Amino acid sequence: MSILARLEQWKALGVISAEQYTLLAGLSCGEPLSLFLELNVLLYGGILAFIGGLGWTVSTWSQQLGDVLVQAALFVIFAICFWYCFSRVAPWSPHETPSPNLIFDYVLYLGCLTWSIELAYFEMKSHLLSGQWDYYLLATACLFFCLAYRFDNRFVLSLALSSLAGWFGLTISHWPSHQDAAYRQYAILYSFLIVIVGIILQRFGFKRHFFGTYLNIAANVLFWALLSGVFQRWDYTLWLIALLALCGGSLAWGLSRRQFSFVAYAAVYGYVGISWILLRDVHDFHAVLGYFVVTGTLMVVTLVRVAHHFGRET
Amino acid sequence: MRAYSVAAEEALHARNLLKDWLGERFLTTSQWRSMEQETVSDLRRTNIFLRLVLFLFAVIIVVSAAALIVTVLFSGSDRLPGGIALLVFAAACYAGAEFAISEYRLYHHGIEEALAVCSVGFLCVGVTLLADIRIAPLAGGIASLWIWHRFGLAYAFLAAMIFAAWLPGYWTTSHTAQHLIVAAIYAAGLMTVAGLRSRYRFTYLNEEYSIAEALLWLGIYLAINLQLSPVNLFDHRSISVYSTPEFPRAFYWFTWVLTWCVWPAVLWRGLRQKDHFVIAVGGTVAVLTLITNKSYLGWPRHTWDPMLLGALLAGVAVLVHRWLSQGPGGILHGFTARRLSGKDKHWMNAGSFAFGIAAPGSTPMNPQTNSSDVRFGGGESGGGGASSDF
Repeated sequence: MSILARLEQWKALGVISAEQYTLLAGLSCGEPLSLFLELNVLLYGGILAFIGGLGWTVSTWSQQLGDVLVQAALFVIFAICFWYCFSRVAPWSPHETPSPNLIFDYVLYLGCLTWSIELAYFEMKSHLLSGQWDYYLLATACLFFCLAYRFDNRFVLSLALSSLAGWFGLTISHWPSHQDAAYRQYAILYSFLIVIVGIILQRFGFKRHFFGTYLNIAANVLFWALLSGVFQRWDYTLWLIALLALCGGSLAWGLSRRQFSFVAYAAVYGYVGISWILLRDVHDFHAVLGYFVVTGTLMVVTLVRVAHHFGRET
Repeated sequence: MRAYSVAAEEALHARNLLKDWLGERFLTTSQWRSMEQETVSDLRRTNIFLRLVLFLFAVIIVVSAAALIVTVLFSGSDRLPGGIALLVFAAACYAGAEFAISEYRLYHHGIEEALAVCSVGFLCVGVTLLADIRIAPLAGGIASLWIWHRFGLAYAFLAAMIFAAWLPGYWTTSHTAQHLIVAAIYAAGLMTVAGLRSRYRFTYLNEEYSIAEALLWLGIYLAINLQLSPVNLFDHRSISVYSTPEFPRAFYWFTWVLTWCVWPAVLWRGLRQKDHFVIAVGGTVAVLTLITNKSYLGWPRHTWDPMLLGALLAGVAVLVHRWLSQGPGGILHGFTARRLSGKDKHWMNAGSFAFGIAAPGSTPMNPQTNSSDVRFGGGESGGGGASSDF
């Protein structure tokens, strides 16, 4: 039976009203068609392209244009963006607040990215903090956190969290090259800090819907950090125990809250960590393949049971 | 022909729509509960995360098992037994996928998908070992198309298109002919899909055909835009017409004209059909046309080009939004800028999280100066660019 036939049946049975029938029958036939997602993608792509071009132009033509002109132009864009946002924002509420209009979130995002370019250019020219980029990162992260909570903007919250990660030394491009142990400690510290901050803010009722963002980022950073400890040649036992504990916690959280991304994290990161430990000294190719067949089957059987009991739908 | 019954798939389609409408509060929870009971399907689904993980582990099992058997039983260098074994694995995997569906009623569950995907992979490698590498893309394409049709996996259609794009390379060395053949194959596919999909317009199969049509439009565009040709993508000198001597001049300019004709046609088709996927491809190829136009004409690029493009994209979005808002209830000519689906909200939340993290704090900057103090570096993982080396 098609959806239109079902809707007619539900209308005839009085489950839905005639108005609801008209609306839902129209929607199921694409009438009206919402271009909401397409317009948002256009705006996001537009802002990214604009910022990319702005950064490229500033870096290429800064000498010819002169510092005053470059800084003035950046400041004008930044000021217009923030004037727009502050002049149109609704009074602050600790709860989820819809944007006043379609472009509002993207104007704020543009302003934040322009601020980043301006700050970078300013320090490059003035050397005010003598290259102490940590302070800029921390200040930028704080500013972005305030803006994210003031304007209820997930884009800016993600920027704030990645800026804070930068302050902790979690620059991904540097990760594999050196100082693994130091980065690992910073990563663990960062994860705990953002989880604690997220929990506190959630407990106080400030933008509870942001909590998922904190948890997802913290879980991934923590899993990576612990895995890097497991991959060490020596002194990996504690890291393995910590990884298993985290897997257990992630699994329990995912199942109890029906957030299956955490179940997936536990399954994949846990499997990689344990497999690494078990296979690190195995040199028989057939044994390795046999291991994957057996353990993979066990994982599938377990996950199917989990899926059957808990994760039937999204 | 289809692995699932019409009633079961219609019920799942109805269930998805009900969930969407509940998300946007077009239905009350009590209405939804009452209606949901009538859309019960015997098909077994799972959520996207478990689906991905199950797919991953099923692929690990199948590939490891096949490698284990082949390396234990056929350790010699003879291709024949290995090829036959791979064909047997392909058949076994396909039979396994069919069995998982018929016996356990799995529907886009990860496991049966992995078995189907592995069957195509084994088939291609087996055919390559047994016969000729030139037959592999043909076999892979036909198998992928069958899996798309039988199991409704959209990415199998994409795989079939990729296999089809490999074919002309074995038939001719002429780049021009290769582009034309690929475009012709996709155009034939497009006509077939467009002809078929009209009968499934408001059914559960509409989305499947919509994705297929969108992919075919994209394939045609990529085949005719010579600036996106692999030959040019890997050639850093490809900024002028003179850097593409492998294409005749007339053909080169003919494709330039076509790139400007295709995107309005795709957009028009998408808007006429009210098809999200085709509209998305229309927008994408329009942007690609703008980006590659200067390369086509041999004009120099400027640093402010991305700014102009960005301003244009944002401007178009604002204008369309304003135009649509003028209509009664924000609806004009059957279109609206309002959110009408719970799925859109979900995508927006996931996208803002992911893209916010991945956003560039600042772009790589290569100043045209000898001054040592002008040395911008790339920002790291957002971070407002402040993590970059200066």
